[in-house]
Amino acid sequence: MIKPLLGLIAGLLLGYFSYINIPLAYAKLFSVALLASLDSVFGGLRAAVAEKFDNTMFISGFFFNALMAAFLVYVGDRLGIDLYYVALLTFGFRIFKNLAALRRYLLKRH
Amino acid sequence: MRGIRQGSWSIACVCMVLGFMLAVQFRTTQDIKGNVPFQRVEELSARLLETEQERDGLREELKLLRENTASSMGTDELRKQAGFTALEGEGIIVRMDDSTMTSKAGENPNLYLIHDDDLLRVINELRAAGAEAISVNGQRLIGTSEIRCAGPTLSVNNVRSSAPFEIRAIGEKKTLENAIKMRGGVAETLKVWGIQLETELSDNVRVPAYKGSLKFVYGHEIAEQGEAQ
Repeated sequence: MIKPLLGLIAGLLLGYFSYINIPLAYAKLFSVALLASLDSVFGGLRAAVAEKFDNTMFISGFFFNALMAAFLVYVGDRLGIDLYYVALLTFGFRIFKNLAALRRYLLKRH
Repeated sequence: MRGIRQGSWSIACVCMVLGFMLAVQFRTTQDIKGNVPFQRVEELSARLLETEQERDGLREELKLLRENTASSMGTDELRKQAGFTALEGEGIIVRMDDSTMTSKAGENPNLYLIHDDDLLRVINELRAAGAEAISVNGQRLIGTSEIRCAGPTLSVNNVRSSAPFEIRAIGEKKTLENAIKMRGGVAETLKVWGIQLETELSDNVRVPAYKGSLKFVYGHEIAEQGEAQ
């Protein structure tokens, strides 16, 4: 549990002190990608706790989900379909589901 | 916590990427929040400046056009008649104010206020008595002027003003006064409701010029045709 936390903190510091800025036009895409990544991480944690973790699946899921989410929202924007909210709902729903499962596993074990 | 044995390294790496994204997003959101009002202020001030410049340009153009038209013969008289010049001469100043009486119970308090039709009646009388130029609270009445109720105020030439009203009229002062004060006339009717109406005769009443501009968009000039068609 220490390593992921350290990684998270390192990433936060790196991001905070870097000079990367997301242009306003892509802020929406980036936020969806972020949500997808968040979902992937919680999913991975849950799998790890359940001891069903698959490294390839996790890494590929993380990047693929984030990119796909951003891409879909982009395409939706071009077509006039607001897929942004759909992605928001789906990933938000999944995050809560993963969190609930994670909590259940952890509580059962102790 | 002994929970995570598998893939803790990959989770750590992914967490790092996630943290990076979180931080960047956090900063971007912060920037957007801070920037938008600032941008708005700049945008608005730029627009204000633009509009002001446009106004000044138009004013300049108006002045030029006025000079050009004024120089051609015969327009001076026309401008005077149309109300585009300030005039001075003998006439009357009528001051009107709302009633000082309190309305009795059950009575409409509107009756004790000056309305557009009260003002219109006074002006109609003045015109009938041969007034050459009339202004209401500094607004010159011309052919297209309106006098209408605008909420608690009156709008004349689309400029709002409220009581007290000062009507200035140029004409033969005695005739004008008599027109207002004749028996059964406007002054007497309004007195019933306690509306204050004072007249002042003067040998040099000043009536301002019409300040707006007249532009005919829908009407086109045609040659005069006979009555019978």
